[in-house]
Amino acid sequence: MTALFDKYAPLQTRVDMMMKIGADALGVKFDDILSATRGRIGNREILLAGTNNYLGLTFDEDCRAAAKTAVDDHGTGTTGSRVANGTYAEHTDLEQALAEHFGMPSCIVFTTGYQTNLAAISGLAGDKDVIFMDADAHACIIDGSRLTNASTIRFRHNNPEDLDKRLRRQGEIEGGNALVVIEGMYSMFGDIAPVDEFLDVTHRHGGYLFIDEAHSYGVFGPTGCGIAEEQGVLDQVDFISGTFSKSLASVGGFCASKHPQFEITRKVMRPYMFTASATPANICAARVAVEKVKTGGYLRENLKARAQQLHAGLKALDFDLCADPSPVIAVRRPNEGIAAMEWNWLMENGVYVNLAVPPGTPQSSSLLRISLSAAHTESDVNIIIDAFGRMKASQAEIMSGMMIRMQAAE
Amino acid sequence: MTAPTESEIYDKICELLKPYNPKGLPIERSSGIMSDLEVDSVAVFDFIMELEDHYDISIPMEMVSDIKTVGELSLAAKGLMS
Ligand SMILES: Cc1ncc(COP(=O)(O)O)c(C=O)c1O
Repeated sequence: MTALFDKYAPLQTRVDMMMKIGADALGVKFDDILSATRGRIGNREILLAGTNNYLGLTFDEDCRAAAKTAVDDHGTGTTGSRVANGTYAEHTDLEQALAEHFGMPSCIVFTTGYQTNLAAISGLAGDKDVIFMDADAHACIIDGSRLTNASTIRFRHNNPEDLDKRLRRQGEIEGGNALVVIEGMYSMFGDIAPVDEFLDVTHRHGGYLFIDEAHSYGVFGPTGCGIAEEQGVLDQVDFISGTFSKSLASVGGFCASKHPQFEITRKVMRPYMFTASATPANICAARVAVEKVKTGGYLRENLKARAQQLHAGLKALDFDLCADPSPVIAVRRPNEGIAAMEWNWLMENGVYVNLAVPPGTPQSSSLLRISLSAAHTESDVNIIIDAFGRMKASQAEIMSGMMIRMQAAE
Repeated sequence: MTAPTESEIYDKICELLKPYNPKGLPIERSSGIMSDLEVDSVAVFDFIMELEDHYDISIPMEMVSDIKTVGELSLAAKGLMS
C-alpha cells in the first residue's frame, strides 16, 4: 500500500535539500512591500529585482486612487462569474479600452492571466483543429491545450522554419484549422519571438496566430502593445493575450482579436464562465494603467536603458546570460545547488531575484532570473551589478558557508 | 527509404535517451521514461523532438502524455511511420 503523498517523496527530498541551504526560494514571504522596487524582511530592506513590475506602476498614485474609488463605489468582490452577475460596467469599459488600444474589434477580460490562456486556447481549438505551440510555451498554454481535444504539436523554440516543417508535415487539416501559439517576450530567458516571420509561415499555411504578450505588453512597441507592434505587424495578428499582473500592475488578463466572431467564445470558455470575475479594484487599477502604457514611452526608455546597463554590467563580470538585453535578464548557473546557494546569498545581501529551476525552465537550466522595472534607477542597477560581482568574488566562501549549514542541518 | 523496423526504432530511442540519463540507469522496454529514467516533464518533450526530427514524424503531445515506457514510445513511433 502506498500513501497518498508517497508520490511526492523525490520532490520532498529536493525541497528538503533547498531548505538546508537556506530559505525556500519558491515561498518567499516579504513582511512589507515598501514600493515598486523595495520590500522588507525582518529589519532588512531588500531591492526587488524579480517582480515583473515592468513599468513600476503598482504604487502609481493614479492606479491606487482608481482602485480605492472602485472599492468605495462598487465593493470588494463581484461574487459571480462574467456570465452571471459578475460583469460590471468596469469590465466592459476595460475591454473596450484594450480593444481600442490594439485596434481590434474584440477583447475579453479574464480573472487571471493563467485563466486567460486556459480559456482562450480551449475556446478556440475544437476537436478537429491542431495546436502548434512553441517548445518553451508557458504552463498555461500547455494546460489550455490540455483542456481541448485538439491534437497538439510542439515546434522548436523561436524557430519559424521548424514550424513551417511541422505544418507541412501535418498537411491538410480535414475539417479544422491550425492554431499557432507563441509568446512575445519569453518569461525565463527574456528572448524575443520573430513574430513577423511566424505570421508569414502561419498565414501561408492558412493558420491563425495567437501571441501571449504577458511579458511584452506595456514594455515593447511605440504605444506599448507589445512585440507585434514593435515589429510593425500588430494588424495581422489573429489573437493577442496578456495579463494585468505585470505591466498593468493588477491581477487579471485579456485576449484581443481582429476577428469580431471571437465574441462567441464567451459562451463556451469554461475558465471564463465558471469562475468569479475580477474585482472592481483590480479592473479599475488596470484601466488606469492602460492609459499609462499608451503614453509610457518615457517608462519604456528608462526600462530599456536599465536593461542595457545591467546586461553590460553582468557581461563585464563574465556571467553567462541567456539572451540579448531585455527587461528579463537570466543568468545561467551550473546547477540547481549552486543557483540556490547564490540565491540565498543575494537575499542575505539585500537583492531579491528569482531562482528558476527545471522543469520550469527551458533546456533544464538553473537560473538566477532578474526582471527589471522602469522604477529602477541607475543606482539600483549598480547595486544589482555590485551584488553579483561580490557574489562571484565570494564563491569559495559561499560554498563553504553553505556546506557548514547543510552539515549542521544533518 | 524503407520504413525502419520497430527494433531499429527502439535502438535509436535508447541512443537518443543517453544524454537525458546521466546516471546511466539501465534502459529496458519496460522502463518508465519519467518514473524510472528520471527524465523531467520538460526534458521528455525535448527528447521526443529529437526523435521526431530523426524520423521526420510529429508525435502529438497528447500521445506523449499517454506514453509511459520506452517500449510504448517505440511502438507509437512505429505506428506513426506505417
Ligand atoms: C507567458 C505567461 N503567460 C501567462 C502568465 C500568467 O499570468 P498571471 O500570473 O497573471 O496569471 C504568465 C505568468 O505568470 C506568463 O509568464
